[in-house]
Amino acid sequence: MSQFTHIDHKGQAHMVDVSAKAITSRTAIASASVTMKAETLEMILAGGHTKGDVLATARIAGIQAAKRTPDLIPLCHPLMLSKVSVEFEPDASLPGIRIAATCKLAGQTGVEMEALTAASVAALTLYDMCKAVDKTMLIGDIRVLEKRGGKSGDWRYGDDRSEQPSEAGSIHTAGTSVKETSHLATRTLQVRFFAELREQLKQDEIAVSLNDLESEGYPLTIDGLSQWLRQHQAELASILDRSGLMVAVNHKMADKQAVISAGDEVAFFPPVTGG
Amino acid sequence: MFDVRVQHEAFNSGAEVDRMTASRTDIGAVATFVGLVRDFNEKPDVVALTLEHYPGMTEQQLHQIAHQAADRWPLLGGTIVHRVGRLEPGDPIVLVAVASAHRQAAFDACNFIMDYLKTQAPFWKKEHTRTGDYWVSSRTSDTQAVKRWEVTDD
Repeated sequence: MSQFTHIDHKGQAHMVDVSAKAITSRTAIASASVTMKAETLEMILAGGHTKGDVLATARIAGIQAAKRTPDLIPLCHPLMLSKVSVEFEPDASLPGIRIAATCKLAGQTGVEMEALTAASVAALTLYDMCKAVDKTMLIGDIRVLEKRGGKSGDWRYGDDRSEQPSEAGSIHTAGTSVKETSHLATRTLQVRFFAELREQLKQDEIAVSLNDLESEGYPLTIDGLSQWLRQHQAELASILDRSGLMVAVNHKMADKQAVISAGDEVAFFPPVTGG
Repeated sequence: MFDVRVQHEAFNSGAEVDRMTASRTDIGAVATFVGLVRDFNEKPDVVALTLEHYPGMTEQQLHQIAHQAADRWPLLGGTIVHRVGRLEPGDPIVLVAVASAHRQAAFDACNFIMDYLKTQAPFWKKEHTRTGDYWVSSRTSDTQAVKRWEVTDD
């Protein structure tokens, strides 16, 4: 039997009968990103674009697209969406815009196709709005970040990958895959230091080669990284021994056992003191 | 539902609340908290402070804290604004405004968000005093405060 729900026992495409499924509240969040030149990003944020408000237009496009999903995806059920929202976050590290689309309904089938469509079309519209000034823009990171409700329960991007910190998963987890691909060839990770640590070290980031860690027999975990850093940069020892030291991997709080991989952004910082 | 911003500019808490409640008739209660810069802390004579954050992660953590609050109480809206950069005594640092149908949820969620913001959101304060600059230490009272929300889910 096929694992694909849209293919029947004869191998033909069919729409799944969901009549018997319970009506539950369902939410899906999908992401996309548009990587662009730093000047293009600045122009969008400054609102100086000749075509008008780029983000407002892309937001409406994404919302409209979610409502048209069954017209575009052949075996997708028409749904009565109860909410569609499209959010944008400028990210200077891309540089570009990260998109998070959320779709909700009370119904019998999931809404991830609607969220993916909204995120994709918002990204396409960003491209359309800005193509006159930047033809090299790259659309990427299109994926489901989170699903809630339904028979299979809650799911978050990262749950299926091994050893991710379990509290993962707000909309901004979109972060890492662009960096992952661009760093894969060299297998480095970026280590950042904040606040007092940065001042002590007189350095805000260093690049670490995972090949070096591995060839010297250190495990690819935060603990392994800390040991390696101590060995290779003596002034780091006092920083890494600091009481209450916090660590994050790809913008999420992590612990010593957290696994690190190429393209990750690891940050060490003192206990936080905001508010 | 939650508006989360990290910014240099000052905010107007009244305007933020008005924006959150504009054309809404379902909101019955809004609780707000505004944190201000004191002129004394670990040392007297604080003349200014500089707030640093971790762009990207800070916003993400604030969103996550807001999501947790929204999962726990029936909220109808919320705004978190946190300033960064150089601030002087009397300047507002942080605003948390939470809307709900009834006051108890709004009070509790506002309190919850501030407790988690204090211990989980990557911001750091450096205080400038007449006798020198220093990085503010975290307080055990903040760590204690956040613990009271750690109930076991049934």
